[in-house]
Amino acid sequence: MNKLILYFVFSLIVFNVQAQNRFFTKDAKINFNSSTSVEDIVAESNQATTLIDIDKNEIAFSVLTTSFKFRRALMEEHFNENYMESVKFPKAKFNGKIISPIEWKSEKVVLVDVKGVLTMHGVSNEIILKAQIIPGKNKILAITEFKVIPEAFGISIPSAVRDKIAKEVTIKIDAAYTPYQP
Amino acid sequence: MKINSLKSVIILGLIVLFSNQVWSQDLDSLLDKEIKPQTIYAAATFKATRIVNGHSVEQMKKKQLDFRISHRFGDINSGSYNLYGLDNGLIHFSLEYGLTDWLEVGIGRSTYQKTFDGFAKVSILRQTSGAKNMPIHLTYLFSTEYISLNTDTLMKNAYSRMSYIHQILIARKFNESLSLQLTPTVIHRNLVPTELDKNDLFAIGLGGRYKLSKRIALNVEYYYVYRPNEKAISQSIPTPVKYYNPLSIGIDIETGGHVFQIMLTNSQAMREGGFIGKTTETWSNMGIHLGFNISRVFSFTK
Repeated sequence: MNKLILYFVFSLIVFNVQAQNRFFTKDAKINFNSSTSVEDIVAESNQATTLIDIDKNEIAFSVLTTSFKFRRALMEEHFNENYMESVKFPKAKFNGKIISPIEWKSEKVVLVDVKGVLTMHGVSNEIILKAQIIPGKNKILAITEFKVIPEAFGISIPSAVRDKIAKEVTIKIDAAYTPYQP
Repeated sequence: MKINSLKSVIILGLIVLFSNQVWSQDLDSLLDKEIKPQTIYAAATFKATRIVNGHSVEQMKKKQLDFRISHRFGDINSGSYNLYGLDNGLIHFSLEYGLTDWLEVGIGRSTYQKTFDGFAKVSILRQTSGAKNMPIHLTYLFSTEYISLNTDTLMKNAYSRMSYIHQILIARKFNESLSLQLTPTVIHRNLVPTELDKNDLFAIGLGGRYKLSKRIALNVEYYYVYRPNEKAISQSIPTPVKYYNPLSIGIDIETGGHVFQIMLTNSQAMREGGFIGKTTETWSNMGIHLGFNISRVFSFTK
């Protein structure tokens, strides 16, 4: 019986140690810009949820496409209705792995490559992006900027407005992680 | 003792198995657990703030200005001499602004009886799903019209030129394609042409839109107007003008910042007092008008 309790305590410790190796935030900022000289198209969400596993060097993002706020209400409606089809595909996701070396204890800025799969509008594409990470004991900061092509995700843009929307959309992410409490 | 240790081994195995499951749970499914169910608002129940002639539950969001131009040509049955109505037409234009996300106000002017109008539109309920569930949109519309045409000798003062419209807009977006709206309406006219015409007019509107593609939708709108004195009116001499219920069929075409609506309707007036209260043509004798609404939205947010 004593042994049993011991095992139990052991497994709890294992679980706890595990938990501390994950960092989490649910208010990461994602900002995208597909402006052209004709039209300013900028939107931001500060409701992206993201997790980092510093044991496995894995990183995951998830954001509701309806959480993006635009300057123009009509643009926001078109973004959700015509382009992202948010009712059918409510989330945009990224699941990736940090493929360059990173020392999580260093607390120094590191530039890393992250390779993973970006899923939006129901279409998945493999991408490699550069990220800047500042590790820390109780806080991890990460920023990145990368470009995507809407057509690669099955988002068709009618020819009438094609010139008003940038061919490549620039996405910026800014996340401040704290230890994950399940 | 042996049995006991066997038991503990099994239990240990189970615990390890269980904790392994927690271990191996990938980040993706952990993220899914962290995302709380959201309230999803049914957006774009209609493409524009009008179904065809009458208001839809859509309205301008905060600091968005809608500049609308509407036009209805003459009767199609007016013959080739008038190029089937294209030679003449009525116009209405308006500026409509969202003071908040739930309150829109607008002013307009129509060539029909040289009418000025103003309205306030209040969104009371919005259709939602997810964390909060609300099956319908509910909106209250108050509108007032002032006829400035000065050839009508009966209209002696400003009071007699006024009419007031109250509407409750009840709509539901059933799916991505289909939305329906029910619109109970009360119109009070301070002055009516004859004794038999009622000052208070009750009507109910039925409207629907069906999306043909992402950017094109088909709209149908009908108002049933309750006229208890219809029989007496038709028997009185001289026979006063007979009024009909308005039926309109339109197509919405959306192009970026514009919504273009093109329609066929038996009503030439474009405001509630006119098209609900005073439609004088009917589909049965081809008293139909070709028309369009153009909406251009300007944003005043930073």
